[in-house]
Amino acid sequence: MIPLVAVEINFYLLLVLKILAITGVMLGGSLPIIFGELKISAHMQSRVGPYYAGGRWGWAQPMADGLKFFQKEDLVPAAADRQVYKLAPYLLMVSTLAVFVIIPFSPDLIAADLDLGIFFALAISSLSTLGVLMAGWSSGNKYSLIGGLRAAAQIIAYELPLVLAVIGVVIQAGTLSMVGIVEAQIDMGVPFLIGGQAVAFVIFFIASLAELNRTPFDLPIAESELVMGYLTEYSGFRFTTFFLAEYAGVVAISAIASTLFLGGYGFWGLDSALFGPFVLAAKVGILAFLMIWIRWTWPRMREDQLQTLAWKWLIPISLANIMVTAIFKVVF
Amino acid sequence: MRSGISVTTNPPEESETPSEVSTEAEAAEVSGFPDATALAERVAELAGADSWSADFGNAKVRIDQSRWVEAITDVRDGAGLHFFSFLSAVDWSNEVAVGEPLEETVEERYEILVRLSSARNNDAVTLSTDISKTDPRLPTLVGVFGGANWHEREASEMFGIEFEGHPNLSNLYLTDEFEGHPLRKSYPLLSREIKPWPGMVDVEDMPSTENTEGAAAAAVDASETEDES
Amino acid sequence: MSQTLDPRAAAHVSEVAVSVELQTPGMTINLGPQHPSTHGVLRLVAELDGERVVNVEPVIGYMHRGYEKLSEVRTYPQITALVNRIDWVSGFANEIPLMVAVERLMEIEVPARAQAIRLILTELARISNHLVFLSSYPLELGASTPLMHALREREHVLELIEGVTGGRFHPNFNRIGGVKPAAGGGSTQKKLAQDLPQGFLSETAAAMDRMLAICDDMDTLVTGNEIFQARTKGVAVVPPDLALAYGVSGPNLRASGVAFDLREHEDYLPYDKYEFDVVTGENGDCFDRYQVRLEEVRQAARIVSQAIADVPSGPLQAKVPRVIKVPKGETYVRAENPKGEMGYYIVSDGGRIPYRLKIRSASFSNLSILPWALKGLLVPDIIALLGSLDFVLGDVDR
Repeated sequence: MIPLVAVEINFYLLLVLKILAITGVMLGGSLPIIFGELKISAHMQSRVGPYYAGGRWGWAQPMADGLKFFQKEDLVPAAADRQVYKLAPYLLMVSTLAVFVIIPFSPDLIAADLDLGIFFALAISSLSTLGVLMAGWSSGNKYSLIGGLRAAAQIIAYELPLVLAVIGVVIQAGTLSMVGIVEAQIDMGVPFLIGGQAVAFVIFFIASLAELNRTPFDLPIAESELVMGYLTEYSGFRFTTFFLAEYAGVVAISAIASTLFLGGYGFWGLDSALFGPFVLAAKVGILAFLMIWIRWTWPRMREDQLQTLAWKWLIPISLANIMVTAIFKVVF
Repeated sequence: MRSGISVTTNPPEESETPSEVSTEAEAAEVSGFPDATALAERVAELAGADSWSADFGNAKVRIDQSRWVEAITDVRDGAGLHFFSFLSAVDWSNEVAVGEPLEETVEERYEILVRLSSARNNDAVTLSTDISKTDPRLPTLVGVFGGANWHEREASEMFGIEFEGHPNLSNLYLTDEFEGHPLRKSYPLLSREIKPWPGMVDVEDMPSTENTEGAAAAAVDASETEDES
Repeated sequence: MSQTLDPRAAAHVSEVAVSVELQTPGMTINLGPQHPSTHGVLRLVAELDGERVVNVEPVIGYMHRGYEKLSEVRTYPQITALVNRIDWVSGFANEIPLMVAVERLMEIEVPARAQAIRLILTELARISNHLVFLSSYPLELGASTPLMHALREREHVLELIEGVTGGRFHPNFNRIGGVKPAAGGGSTQKKLAQDLPQGFLSETAAAMDRMLAICDDMDTLVTGNEIFQARTKGVAVVPPDLALAYGVSGPNLRASGVAFDLREHEDYLPYDKYEFDVVTGENGDCFDRYQVRLEEVRQAARIVSQAIADVPSGPLQAKVPRVIKVPKGETYVRAENPKGEMGYYIVSDGGRIPYRLKIRSASFSNLSILPWALKGLLVPDIIALLGSLDFVLGDVDR
């Protein structure tokens, strides 16, 4: 009996540790990206960016922002559906956090190397639609409602090219496991971006921008049209949760894209077990920079143009990509 | 990149001349206004108007109230004045609640002004008609110029003129509960009733300015002209 | 809900039945009076079917300050301070038609130097106004970086205006018969003080180069962007005949292909001395309205560059009586303001105070086309149209 108890304690201890670690990774990953966005956007706009909060370069600004939000009153509009309204940000947060579970930082450093790793990630990240829709519906505000509906339409439309782009990778790697996909790239000697899945990468990247509601697909929160879309009524802690979830989403999607297309933790000549997390972080940083760059350069698309792009271009191209990949896989 | 944009060059009418030489001539040319007599005459004929004037470069044609819409349609098509500039009114009133009263007694009336202009040259004309104060009404111009819609709503709330046939003559600026017609001369400026406009002290005649011609001669240099403002 | 069947649909009765069942009432949405894209306090009551506008009712008047009534208790020089606030983005340009109208009635000849200074400052105001447009328009379409770039360059123009007039937005610099003689200098130095500050001409020349540079920047950053073009090309087309009938003027009218520029036709400032192009668009869509303004910045810079090369010397003010009394008469003077035709209809009874002053502002007429133009657009197109009309609520409500 005793060993069994010990195993159970170990299991729960490990679970708590893993949850803490993932939360830490999420925060540790998104805060630098928030700070990076502040600084990069500032330099793109000939400003200096955060300057006073925190010493050098204003590094503490994201934390000061977070603290400020915590102090704000948590408003719930009178017309809101209170339960749903309160639940929405956490649902969004959980769906983003859960993605971190399957991201391999090194061959062994992974919360859970599921056999269906990438499938799990795509499935669980679709839950974010629900969070956004709940936020939009429950706010009792027309702008929020339109924002929520836009988000739902957009995420559904872009989930398809996202999944189809991944299928090409899965076919080439021959596995759904994230570690397996990275190992396949290491075995091949080049990441899939060079080794045959460049088209899939572009589609995946575009679709992930749409999944994250980032420019040029930021229609659900379009400030100039819908004030703040589904976020309009949120304040205080719940707004912070949305805000963090957005950046955690950037980290998560970038990490998945790095794993699928850029070779994950592997880099020529570097020991994966030792340098894996840093290699992955660098790749995430590059992708996040791309997203920030695009965000501060491009205008926003219109709903119909966004749907046209998804259904008439991305989905057919990704289908063709699957066919080509499959043919190569069978022939060679 | 600029394929959608076309430019028409406007050549300078005269080559650059030494400024000192031509200062006087240019000044005279610039402040002078175009002679609008010919235009006013032509428009009056088109509109079948009784009287016209062309003072200060402002071609103004008086139309009879009964021919308002058709005369303006004729002017628009006949003289090519397709640009609708504005529609407004003047309250000709012998007793005023604000401002200075008129020097001479006038016939009590509202004068409706419509400004039309060409979009090709500098032809522009003011068309006016008088309507009675007891029953201020006039057919609407919305059918002739779509832009008259808002201008008529403005004139309607500000002067209390009813434009017959207007699709929606509700208040444009003022709230629906607002009472009165603010731009009528009989409508007092309430804040000024309580306290006179403080800027008015600046305008009180100074002893030396009884003879304005003399002041004009003295006002050459910068310092004195600045004082007056 | 009773539904009469369209004969064409009669063959598909079952489908019709489904669509009737699914019919939902449209959503009425209030855009404004406090909304990020309404440039102040415009309110649009829009009936939406999904994201498509079925009907829209613009509600204005939140900014109504009654300038026409206030003018009836103010002397002519005092009105100058009021009219600065009509279109506050280009305050200086608002003063010009009023001054010219009064000068016409008083038959004053304005000295050539004052004319040139007026012209330079008007064009600087135009550049400043258009740069505000060029900065805010991409922002409304979701691109936030051009805002900072264009506003940064506008600062140079505002500094120039401030250097001459002492005010960035509301210069109140014109005097009847000329311009305000001395900026600074104190009471003892009034006669010696300069009209244009030292170094103004060279700084203006440098600033104009910057303006051309920012125009090129905007071309590469915004104009060529595929998403920007997709959002603006063919969106909210205003046909020329409709624009004329609604009194739409200025760049909005020229974007519809009507080459009508009061700087060319009206005789209020000596524009005929300078070479410039009247910029027109082809389609009258949002993209043309954007591009006409972009090109007009270049043209305005061109005019300023010519004007500062040859500023006539001479007095700054004509001889005017100490108390301005305007002879009895009526006149209307209009000017090509950055936003369109700005004009003042003065009815004078020979006194110090106008009997009636009608202010014809450009944005009011430009905006009156909204109920027509907004029908059938998508919600994002509302924003694209509103932004492209470049209105200021102070100019609408007066």
